Amino acid sequence: MRFTDEKLIEVEAIINRYPDGKHKSALLPILHLAQEEFGGWLDVPVMDYVAHILKIEPIEVYEVASFYSMYNLKPVGKYMFEVCQTGPCMINGSDDIIAYIKEKLNINVGETTADGMFTLKTVECLGACGYAPLMQLGKHYKEHLTKEKVDTIIEACRAKAN
Amino acid sequence: MARKILLEKAHVEGIRTYEVYRREGGYRSVEKALKMAQADVVEEVKKSGLRGRGGAGFPTGLKWSFIAKPEGVPRHLVVNADESEPGTFKDRYLMEFIPHILIEGMIVSSYALGSNVSYIYIRGEYAWIVNILEQAITEARQNGFLGKNILGTGFDCEIYVHRGAGAYICGEETALIESLEGKRGNPRIKPPFPAVKGVWGRPTVVNNVETIAAVVPIINDGGDEYAKIGVGKSTGTKLMSACGNINKPGVYEIDMTISVEDFIYGDAYCGGIANGKKLKACIPGGSSVPILPANLLLTTAKGEKRLMNYESLSDGGFATGTMMGSGGFIVLDEDQCIVKHTYTLARFYRHESCGQCSPCREGTGWMEKILLNIENGKGKLSDIDLLWDIQGKIEGNTICPLGDAAAWPVAAAIRHFRDEFEWHVKNPVECLTSNYGLAHYADEIHVPVAV
Repeated sequence: MRFTDEKLIEVEAIINRYPDGKHKSALLPILHLAQEEFGGWLDVPVMDYVAHILKIEPIEVYEVASFYSMYNLKPVGKYMFEVCQTGPCMINGSDDIIAYIKEKLNINVGETTADGMFTLKTVECLGACGYAPLMQLGKHYKEHLTKEKVDTIIEACRAKAN
Repeated sequence: MARKILLEKAHVEGIRTYEVYRREGGYRSVEKALKMAQADVVEEVKKSGLRGRGGAGFPTGLKWSFIAKPEGVPRHLVVNADESEPGTFKDRYLMEFIPHILIEGMIVSSYALGSNVSYIYIRGEYAWIVNILEQAITEARQNGFLGKNILGTGFDCEIYVHRGAGAYICGEETALIESLEGKRGNPRIKPPFPAVKGVWGRPTVVNNVETIAAVVPIINDGGDEYAKIGVGKSTGTKLMSACGNINKPGVYEIDMTISVEDFIYGDAYCGGIANGKKLKACIPGGSSVPILPANLLLTTAKGEKRLMNYESLSDGGFATGTMMGSGGFIVLDEDQCIVKHTYTLARFYRHESCGQCSPCREGTGWMEKILLNIENGKGKLSDIDLLWDIQGKIEGNTICPLGDAAAWPVAAAIRHFRDEFEWHVKNPVECLTSNYGLAHYADEIHVPVAV
């Protein structure tokens, strides 16, 4: 396992944002990059590779990867629906949206569809309370969710994947 | 009144680009500040009365004056863009629509503090905003406002964006610093304060996005002019992010003289309660600040109109008041269940506790479980006292303020809505399908006449 040459240049640029000898600071951004590059989650060999790049101990990577909610420590679907369920979203109907996605995809929270296409996850406050209910999908938010909008999103994901 | 300083140009077409931002008067504060002595820039910020907009409300100029200046040790400015307090989404708005104001404010602030390399720590979920900020930084550098020898003054400055990865606790400044160092977001014991030993052991100032953006008008117009806006120690403007059961959720820039009532019902702001419902309760400053019932929200216990500023919102202390906090304004209508809402907040804090301090690690979990029981009609009356007991034992007994932030919403919910909790316990079946409603929470408060 190895980053492409192009990605290695990006890794180098990230490390150079921090002072000499403080390269461990690059850990969070490089883990994001590794997760994108190596299948959407951080398997142990991936984390060991990141430790090798940053010249730190593997445990220093494991303890960080397990602390932050955006790093996936097990495989996830091609598309992950991360639906916010905290107070302001709850009073704007996030419970109904979560129930609808469960029914529509026939999975529970934390599960992935059999075809490996979708994972449903509930998350705490995404910082977009005025546009509730909402979910994070990849690097973007899908806001003001309705059942119809959820249908459209699912269809769009399927179309993109095929 | 609506007074726009930060968001005045937010809707000018193309304002995200350097070209338009500059044409509209952008980066003037850098030209001005870099001709001033560093100490004079700090002095203007002190004079402005600007208070930290992240939640704590600490005077910014004073915070800057604490930064240690040991010989030969670099100093750093770190902007806190880890906006994660439920109800708060103002920094996102500012960075997304008018990113250059943050970069401009950072250059001036970096100069004042002597930081040659400054960072923006942004929550990982705001991934698309990272691109917007990096684009703005690139443009600023291309135009000579970043890099070496800015405007020929000899001042060097670089700005980098550091993306977090999902952790509310990293909004706490020492946890943020740990995270910037590539570690778990475990808050540090203070002292030493970041101003003495921050990132990589170097003197560091951590400021909220909105705080740093406010430095731009302060330098352009002078600290004294800025201080004329607002009232008392609530100077300048404040970005409020309004959400919940209102007609017009969104981000509003206010000067801090308007009343809470005008903010909720005025057409220029929230536009009233959605669907013709009645106001039941509100958390005006982000999920950590005390929830107030409608009557105490609109009127202080003294019977005066409550205003949207630091002093008035906290009038009455925690007994009958609340806090300005981060300006995350969450409105609940008559159909909302206080028990359920408090449960979701307790779950949030349990999820976000870093686990270092046992009162917070264990207490947040206990509160979540007890609240879920009450919400599901499985609670006992003694559970309400137990909740009160737990929150009291978390508050003040942890390294960082997350413990207090978790305790206060539960305490305030019981303080003001105890009968709703009792109703849940006494009506275990009915509470599953209906709720306590508005009850007496909007009734006029009886203010005793002085004798």
